[in-house]
Amino acid sequence: MEIDIKKIAKLSRLAIEPEREEKFQKDMQNIIDMVEQLPEMEAGDLSPKVEDAMALREDVVEPSLPREEVLKNAPQVAAGCVVVPKTVG
Amino acid sequence: MELFKMTGGELHRLMKEKKVSAAEVAEDVYARISKVENGIGAYITPTPEEAIKAAEAVDKKIASGEEIHPLAGIPIGIKDNICTKDIKTTCASRMLENFVPPYDATVITKLKAADFVMTGKLNMDEFAMGSSCENSAFHITHNPHGLDKVPGGSSGGSAAAVAAGEAVMSLGSDTGGSIREPAAYCGIIGLKPTYGAVSRYGLVAFASSLDQIGPMGRSVEDVANLFYTISGQDPYDATTMPTRYPKTAEGLGYDFSGLRIGMPREFYKHADVAVGASIWQVIRTLEARGAKVVDISLPSTDYGLSAYYIISSAEASSNLSRFDGVKYGFRAENYNDLNDMYEKTRSEGFGDEVKRRIMLGTFVLSSGYYDAYYKKAKLFQQKVRAEYDEAFKMCDVIVTPTAPTAAFKIGENVHDPLKMYASDVCTITVNIAGLPALSLPIGMDHEMPVGMQLIGPHFSEEKLLGIAKEFETMRGGLCQVASVV
Repeated sequence: MEIDIKKIAKLSRLAIEPEREEKFQKDMQNIIDMVEQLPEMEAGDLSPKVEDAMALREDVVEPSLPREEVLKNAPQVAAGCVVVPKTVG
Repeated sequence: MELFKMTGGELHRLMKEKKVSAAEVAEDVYARISKVENGIGAYITPTPEEAIKAAEAVDKKIASGEEIHPLAGIPIGIKDNICTKDIKTTCASRMLENFVPPYDATVITKLKAADFVMTGKLNMDEFAMGSSCENSAFHITHNPHGLDKVPGGSSGGSAAAVAAGEAVMSLGSDTGGSIREPAAYCGIIGLKPTYGAVSRYGLVAFASSLDQIGPMGRSVEDVANLFYTISGQDPYDATTMPTRYPKTAEGLGYDFSGLRIGMPREFYKHADVAVGASIWQVIRTLEARGAKVVDISLPSTDYGLSAYYIISSAEASSNLSRFDGVKYGFRAENYNDLNDMYEKTRSEGFGDEVKRRIMLGTFVLSSGYYDAYYKKAKLFQQKVRAEYDEAFKMCDVIVTPTAPTAAFKIGENVHDPLKMYASDVCTITVNIAGLPALSLPIGMDHEMPVGMQLIGPHFSEEKLLGIAKEFETMRGGLCQVASVV
């Protein structure tokens, strides 16, 4: 399978510098050739099984972190909210 | 007394008998860190002040005659992808260089309840992606047994610190071998628990269906005590299961007579002759004690790497989409709009290996390719599980090399991702099947440690630890602190 590194990078929200595209293209192609060696599988049932069911908590309100704690690590904060570039025109 | 060379078990007994204080232990370990850390580079963030404070609190407890936990006052290092409240947790990435978690991971909460002493946060491959610790954004870590060699990865700092006497034990995480491979390379003991045995709450997610936190140490008793302390069902991780492990390592052992050891031929063809020979030597000594060798086959082993890179990268691409420069972590400085900010933040914040995995995951999940890659890999996963289930009808434990070779040279595999990936060929199917496995040092090859892997059925950690303990007793100890020269 030939890959298009520019397209995959874009889908991944990554930008590859033009001078490094060739190296990334080659490495990624080798990795994809490796994962393609996986043999054909008979169709099987991949739906979750009852015995694998996860234990869920009761849906009750519990104490959580105060807002200022949660926002402490955000790169840009104003008036108790995270700040992002304008998203609507 | 060189306290840094002792095991947690030995230190616990000395503290209980009031022959040594927890503060003295912590000071001795930090003296060792000052002496060798320049050459090793195991730590990202050492925390001496917090450690001394925690140790003094333990000493007060001892003085007042309170019972103490086997881990009380024991200096333990933590891999830097496990969240520690108010202490930086970087994942060895520029993306989280200044991230200070507002909460503790469940394993840390449990260790604090046991009064452990945290030595600091340990180096790793960025976001736990790598097998040599060379993918850290900050610095590489050297193998204490040979400074020109890698310590393994991704828990390379966790393994090197314990091997060099810079911590008595440590926590690592294992998604495809990241506890066991560095444990083997550094000549220590490492346990990858059954999926669901230890809470992942507060572990920065790489591949959530494969990740497990696990203990590393220089004695089986230590590894067992650390494992029993961190394991158990947690309401904050819905994949954890109710477990019935003992509380402490006391009474750990195993009678080898009648033990059926499965030797899967596929693993041995991937391993160096010297590594295979060391393992067979061990097997002969176990046979002399009544164990029986069973020839078994796990044919899917050869395709483990392919399936692993599909499943783990698919999950990683999704998990790492949270790093967008908005909620926490790094944000690029100059951008035009929201999408440009995402792209620049992620391109500047992630290293090359992380980018490759995100792109691989994005590709295998992208429209039109899902069935050919991800679905196929998930079907393969069922086959791997079925093969192990069949094998465990014929044997009690499976013995394999932990890694195909001893530690390789720093820089040797760094330009060839596929060569680097191949060092995980013996550990990877264990994660795919969700099984527990333990690596223990069994000898040296060209002065570098060689590891042997014990794989057991789900939730059979007590048996694996028992077998390891018995072997350790036979040998009169398995690990020694590296002299670091």
